[in-house]
Amino acid sequence: MGSGRDWTWFHRLGSPRWFYETTGRWLPLLWAVTLALLVVGLVWGLLYAPQDAKQGNSFRIIYLHVPVSFLALAGYYIMAIAGAVGLIWKMKLSYMVMKSAAPLGAALTFLALFTGAVWGKPTWGTYWVWDARITSMLILLFLYLGVLALQYAFHSQDTGNKASAMLALVGTVNIPIIYKSVDWWYTLHQPATIKLTSAPSMHPDMFKPLLVMILAMYCFYALVLILNTRVEILQRERKTGWVRDLARQADTGPDNQ
Amino acid sequence: MSNAHNAGFTGYLQRDLLLAYRRRGEAASPLIFFLLVATLVPLGVSPEAGRLEPLAPGIIWVMALLATLLSTEGLFASDYQDGSLEQMIIAPQLLAMPVLGKVTAHWLVTGLPLTLVSPIIGIMLSLPSDGFIPMMASLALGTGCLSLVGAVGAALTVSLRKGGLLLSLLVVPLYMPVIIFGSATVQAGIDGLNWFAPLAILGAMLATAVALCPLAIAGALRLVSSN
Amino acid sequence: MSMQFESFQQAWDMAGHGPYVWTAVLVSVFVLCWLMQRPLVQHRKSLNSIAVQMRREKMRQATNPEEHS
Repeated sequence: MGSGRDWTWFHRLGSPRWFYETTGRWLPLLWAVTLALLVVGLVWGLLYAPQDAKQGNSFRIIYLHVPVSFLALAGYYIMAIAGAVGLIWKMKLSYMVMKSAAPLGAALTFLALFTGAVWGKPTWGTYWVWDARITSMLILLFLYLGVLALQYAFHSQDTGNKASAMLALVGTVNIPIIYKSVDWWYTLHQPATIKLTSAPSMHPDMFKPLLVMILAMYCFYALVLILNTRVEILQRERKTGWVRDLARQADTGPDNQ
Repeated sequence: MSNAHNAGFTGYLQRDLLLAYRRRGEAASPLIFFLLVATLVPLGVSPEAGRLEPLAPGIIWVMALLATLLSTEGLFASDYQDGSLEQMIIAPQLLAMPVLGKVTAHWLVTGLPLTLVSPIIGIMLSLPSDGFIPMMASLALGTGCLSLVGAVGAALTVSLRKGGLLLSLLVVPLYMPVIIFGSATVQAGIDGLNWFAPLAILGAMLATAVALCPLAIAGALRLVSSN
Repeated sequence: MSMQFESFQQAWDMAGHGPYVWTAVLVSVFVLCWLMQRPLVQHRKSLNSIAVQMRREKMRQATNPEEHS
């Protein structure tokens, strides 16, 4: 960085090849950290954390439900920001990141809903409650599905990228409004018997494994996002020399000399 | 400058109203749909007034939403096919102004008639008499939001041949705040509560949508029609 | 911090909550594994398809060399 306004890093960041090669160097470490954190967090939470006084053992689902929900919501913003960067700076790479984030986020949102439903049965006696947070999560899933569907509706990949980036941005503006409205709607209709607000303070022995799991999910998200983006890069850059070199090295076909 | 923008707004407003007047049959179909589905509810649920009454605010709002959704699909479609959308985009004015004109025309031929017809459906679904004024007020403001937000989806899907189903998938999640506060306004009126509060929020949403949606629509039209 | 369950059976049962907890865990682990393996498979597949395409180009060039300069 010689001069004060050195923007080369920014343009290098936009280069798919630079991204592919740099992440390739860091991937083994990320794999190791992610898997280790996931295993440690799960075993700690499921077997070693003390059980909840009121909910008993069913509360252990929190170690999956909360981290997954965090990433499901954060993922939408990551996707929208990547789309916005693509629209503003016309950066190819950020569209690839956005495209990779959509199915990942949708899968995590589904998981958040599923673990929530399974947790609900022993706790409130029913799989589904129209609670504010659950309803917002369901709407988030629909928002993800909309972005995914729009992405693949166009023949031209470029148009699909731009259109879904635009939709993701519109969704981002709407998410706070949706959350506030659903919150208000719920307080209006709240059934007196069901109270879903969790305990305000958590015992440290319960909280530490949760923290590990949240960290593990952030690593997991980064890992899968990078892996998916690398696949996108290979497919889009298949005509370029460096991808062809990679393919030649990896090729184990019959007549390869 | 501002005169040119106003001309873009009023020009497209008048043009679309004239087009809608020439195709009156087509413009009436959301209304007929609205009335038709209202007849299904007593058949499907129960003809008893006591059972229809608590459902009425929600059902009226759901049907108004669906009727608006049906009509938004064609908002830019014919302009896209005959090439006049291209012209609108390359015109030197701010694209948001003609877009706003088109959406206003759309509201005048769908949202406003829906609002005016809604008392008939209120009677059919035995809505309590205190709910009528809040219903009409909330529909008038709410359908404006629906037209504006729906137009964003219509712009994004304009170049697709089968955009209708996709459009509903894109737009319905964004409609949820409107339906929450719309039916809450009606319910508050029935319960004798202060229904101005939810109505004011609907108004705030409409103001936000008027400010932001034309920009999003203009951006979407540029993106999609450039290829 | 200590192990909460005395036997495997007890951990599986979790005082009646076992089916719920382990369903959530198994489905989550399945989805997370699927998310991780999908790009790995696709990565290999796309490299392979590029290699196959390159081989085909080479064959074509070998059979009629005047096509390419």
